[in-house]
Amino acid sequence: MKNIKKTSFLLALILFAASAFSGCAKAPEPQAGTQPSYKAVLLVPGTLGDKSFFDAANAGMQKAKSELGIETKVIEMGTDKTKYEPTFRDVCAQDWDLIISGSADMTDMFNEFSLEYPDQSFLNYDATTDAVNSNIYSVGYAANELSYLAGAVAALATTSSVSGMNPEARIGFIGGMDIPGINDFLVGYIKGAQDVNPEVKVVISYAQDFTNPGKGKELALNQYSFGADVIFSAAGGTGMGVLDAALEKGLYAIGVDSDQALLFKSSDEKKASQIITSAIKQIDMVIFNGIKAGMDGTLPVGSYKLVSFKDQGVGIARNEYYDKIMPAELKAKVDEIEKNLIDGKVAVPSIVGMPQEELDAMRDAVK
Amino acid sequence: MPSLVDMLLNPSFWFSVLRVTTPIIFAAIAALITDKAGIMNISMEGTMLFSALAGTIVSALTQSAWIGLLGAMAAGVLLSLTLAYFTLELKTDVILGGVAINLFADGGSIFILYLLTGDKGTSVSLASKVLPSVTIPLIDKIPVLGAIISGHNALTYIAAATVFAVYFMLKSTPLGLKIRAVGENSSAAQSVGVSAKKIQYLSLALSGLIASLGGAYMSMAYLPNFSRNMTSGRGWIALAAEAMGQGGVLATSAASLVFGFADAMANALQMFSLPAELVGIIPYVATVIGLILYSVRIKNAKKRRGASKKPL
Repeated sequence: MKNIKKTSFLLALILFAASAFSGCAKAPEPQAGTQPSYKAVLLVPGTLGDKSFFDAANAGMQKAKSELGIETKVIEMGTDKTKYEPTFRDVCAQDWDLIISGSADMTDMFNEFSLEYPDQSFLNYDATTDAVNSNIYSVGYAANELSYLAGAVAALATTSSVSGMNPEARIGFIGGMDIPGINDFLVGYIKGAQDVNPEVKVVISYAQDFTNPGKGKELALNQYSFGADVIFSAAGGTGMGVLDAALEKGLYAIGVDSDQALLFKSSDEKKASQIITSAIKQIDMVIFNGIKAGMDGTLPVGSYKLVSFKDQGVGIARNEYYDKIMPAELKAKVDEIEKNLIDGKVAVPSIVGMPQEELDAMRDAVK
Repeated sequence: MPSLVDMLLNPSFWFSVLRVTTPIIFAAIAALITDKAGIMNISMEGTMLFSALAGTIVSALTQSAWIGLLGAMAAGVLLSLTLAYFTLELKTDVILGGVAINLFADGGSIFILYLLTGDKGTSVSLASKVLPSVTIPLIDKIPVLGAIISGHNALTYIAAATVFAVYFMLKSTPLGLKIRAVGENSSAAQSVGVSAKKIQYLSLALSGLIASLGGAYMSMAYLPNFSRNMTSGRGWIALAAEAMGQGGVLATSAASLVFGFADAMANALQMFSLPAELVGIIPYVATVIGLILYSVRIKNAKKRRGASKKPL
């Protein structure tokens, strides 16, 4: 009996330690000496380290902390969605100047809690609806326009003289899940590729998982052996496997959310040289500018803004690898297409309001 | 556009089946060894994940893939011995212990990764090493078969060797006999002087060792670095494979191949006109069927045991 008690205590301890680890959040300490006057908190609906979406948000917070000298706190809420609401409520009850978060899960919560806490200010850096309350500033990204350009890059490169490319006009797309947030990337990608080359084929796979690089690698290897030479992946951690497959096959990938070639620059230069470019949402800039506006008292609360190429809220990475891989005449074409996007000369389809049949038709058209 | 038949005739498809199966086969054999000794070990997922991290770290520190593999093995054995200590000394429920190991590995691996690299997602900043691929001389010259069998990572061949080694060990060695005896009826085994506890310790350690190879495969062969939760349920699929194999080493390996085939099939079929959702459920349907077979087996075993026992 004594043994059982002892065991259950130890077991409880392990369980406690395990859950403490998985939910652990490291809050940056406020700078000593100076008393920061402005306090901003970032609620991450997940954990940092995804090398794209959440890390970009964190980068914005760190930039604001070092350049504006404000007090910041980053709370990682983990993958257990039942913890989001209590955490959000706790934060709302505290004394913050700006509460920042984003994603589909959080957007609903923003709209609910902002009514309950009318004195707080909120910044939603990745909103999935344009409906906002009077104390929220919501930002959305023209992911479709962004991936339109990525699709153009892929379609231009796949029939070019870039080493390793076969003559076939076939490119690939790997999505984390078959959901609107991911398919917004897909529809833009397809249209962008089609506008460059009407004959283009797009191989489409979904990993059904955002943290399974093994699956990402298998899907990518399949697509490469199917004749696709450039794969764009919008699949979080699963995408790391896609990049690895690109290295293994000597073919090409397009990264997402942040400049993924730069991640490997120091540790795996060869892998970095297979990443043509990355489709970047300037999440860090949105957060940084939001905090800055909040400090000046000019944060446009009560409004929604869709950032696109026009606002430099989205863009593709033009790093040394892009320069090296892409021939000059193709780069010129990409620049021209980007200019058309900025000028609003291109109609890019969006998943918002698109009926399922139309999405299916788009996918079938490039099979 | 290639058809389904082309895909099935393509050696690279079958090559990918073996590649996908490797981690599952390691974990399934690991589960089988403890099952034979009468312990239901469900910690494969956590053991693999933790070993995957250990392999990456040790290989980065020593700059040797093989020493990294030893590190992964040590981590796997250590974790399994922890489970053994809780189960055999402190009499914890082995399922709860397994759950604890899995939870610990999930959060703990991220914690350790963060301490070492400051990164919570992947170990790309560590210059870890990858185990080599092996081209088998002569066999690689055989058309079709050579393209399927030759050129895999060393660990895939080690997996095949493990299957036969464990098969032989359980069938024809004194240790195998003892393991089976303890699993069938530990009191009877003890009555002839076999220490059930010692045998169960040993089988758990062996199980950890073999599962750790599956973990090392994930981070040092399949992919060149560790990333959070990268085992993604392979340890659970392995349990289903072991269940489908009904305790036979070769049957368990065959079941692992079925799961590997289902997974590779799901990956490849997506490129045809089938909807992703439909294709995506193939491995899970296979798992559910495996688990149903397993529960039927447990029920039958209970019935048998119940029948042999005299009513009090």
